[in-house]
Amino acid sequence: MLSFILRRLAIAIPTILLIIILSFVLMHSAPGGPFSGERSLPPEVLANIEQKYGLDKPLYQQIFVYVSGIVTEFDFGPSFKYKNQSVNDLIASGFPVTLVYGFWSFVCASLIGISLGVIAALKHNSWPDYAATGTAILGSVLPNFVMAPLLVLLFTVYLNWLPGGGWEGGQIQFIIMPVIALATSYLAGITRITRSSMLEVLGSNFIRTARAKGLPPHHIILRHALKPALLPVLTSLGLSFVGMITGSVVIDQYFSTGGIGQHFVNAALNRDYSVIMGVTILVGSLTILFNLLVEILYAWIDPRIRY
Amino acid sequence: MLLNPKKIQQLADNLARSEHDSEELKGRSLWQLARARFARNRAAMISLITLLLIVVFSIFGNSLSPWDHEQIDWDAMGDVQILGTPSIQSRHYFGTDDLGRDLYARVIQGSQISLMVGLIGSLIAVVVGTLYGATAGYLGGRIDALMMRSVDILLAIPFMFVLILLMVMFGRSIYMIFIGIGLLSWLDMSRIIRGQTLSLKNREFIEAARAIGVPPLTIITRHIIPNVLGIVVVYATLLVPGMIMTESFISFLGLGVQEPQTSWGALINEGARTIQNGTLWQLLFPLAFFIVTLLSFYFIGDGLRDALDPKDE
Repeated sequence: MLSFILRRLAIAIPTILLIIILSFVLMHSAPGGPFSGERSLPPEVLANIEQKYGLDKPLYQQIFVYVSGIVTEFDFGPSFKYKNQSVNDLIASGFPVTLVYGFWSFVCASLIGISLGVIAALKHNSWPDYAATGTAILGSVLPNFVMAPLLVLLFTVYLNWLPGGGWEGGQIQFIIMPVIALATSYLAGITRITRSSMLEVLGSNFIRTARAKGLPPHHIILRHALKPALLPVLTSLGLSFVGMITGSVVIDQYFSTGGIGQHFVNAALNRDYSVIMGVTILVGSLTILFNLLVEILYAWIDPRIRY
Repeated sequence: MLLNPKKIQQLADNLARSEHDSEELKGRSLWQLARARFARNRAAMISLITLLLIVVFSIFGNSLSPWDHEQIDWDAMGDVQILGTPSIQSRHYFGTDDLGRDLYARVIQGSQISLMVGLIGSLIAVVVGTLYGATAGYLGGRIDALMMRSVDILLAIPFMFVLILLMVMFGRSIYMIFIGIGLLSWLDMSRIIRGQTLSLKNREFIEAARAIGVPPLTIITRHIIPNVLGIVVVYATLLVPGMIMTESFISFLGLGVQEPQTSWGALINEGARTIQNGTLWQLLFPLAFFIVTLLSFYFIGDGLRDALDPKDE
């Protein structure tokens, strides 16, 4: 097991480095810099600024300084646009918000999705199955940027129950709509995967054996069927996690929640390179680490996987 | 025992007919069978027709409306909430947007771009992914390990963020979206095709081809790819909605297609922003097209999978 984890880490770390280098090179090969705005600065001033941010050094030195800053001090450097604010400050202000609604939508999507999928499989070809499958199909064509305006239309414009945006320290009425908007399409995916893998497991021989020897139905489902059926779901949970962080770009933009996605889009529009890079690297590393976690869990649950 | 000549004649007829039938059955290829199975799938057929209607609409719809997508209706512009509502009299069938432009024409324009993104994106995925995956799977060994390892690494990079990065770096335009989507869409496809190739590689007909000295590239293009085509078709159909969704996501953020061009995502964004003004049609028309198209692709893909994979029968 340990060697498996180490081997996976040996792939993960170069991948993270590659993300850093790739985004760095992309950023610096782009035409126009963060300081080439509408009014052009005098060359001396520009040279001064570039010296301050270390942009006058050769590229490999810049990469080295940047990477070693991240690795040794977890320092993503200063923001190019907002003076006196570092990328770390921006991430620290945005990430907790994203984590709150991301976490809740992850929980909702997995719990509801798995339950719906299991119910659909147990009541195969009856109305609960059709209802769950219908929900899954409809949900898969309702991405977060479609759900967000529809929810606002329903809950804010017509029913006037919930505020149309804002965060206010994460009070419950501000969290509900971001969570639903973010969770819908992943809920659909999880339902579909759970249903099909549960159906497959329920048709297998060991379940028939369990039935034949007279085990109570709930025992068969919870103890025997659920564990193998949830293995494919686990993989999709990894993907959902990434999707939720990516989705924060839309959620923050539409609901003005002030999460990490908002900083990312603002930085993208302002060409604030250090912030874009910081967020990309952070999300990339989180993605890789989360996938690693899923793989380890997978190997731990399923003894058939050799590591 | 008296034999009834009528009955015998009938028997002979039946025998002849069934023989005739089986001969016909023998002549049907895999694709013919798949087509017949697909035609029996009602949801898939309805979706196919709907999708064709949407395509025809996005190509020829303009001839039904006097308005152009760039033309501004100055009368409606001042009072969009009342004068810009959808109506037959003003010939704004879908109403107008906030600038007084005809939404019907804008939706057609957006449909063209969104459908094109889906089509070109999955075309790139099909061509690059199939060739890459088949090559890696067929050659095997160290080359395969290297090729698939790089795919793994590329897959680990958060796709959407890189796409946004590209749009910011090299200008927001529809071409950049094509390049960005094309760069990354083939990864999954290559994995699937590699897996299929691995299982095909040791079959007798490939062995035979190798034995008579067919070069590897010809084996890949002539023998492996035609045999994975079924999966390619199914997967490509399921890819299209993903591409459309990605483009709409980027355009919804205002980072994708730029004015005066538009797409479903950009139109949904415009409609979503004015939601509080009561100009609902600005959101609902593009949204309806978006959802109906995605649903159609979903059902068609599902139908194709059932049709090409006769395991269930």
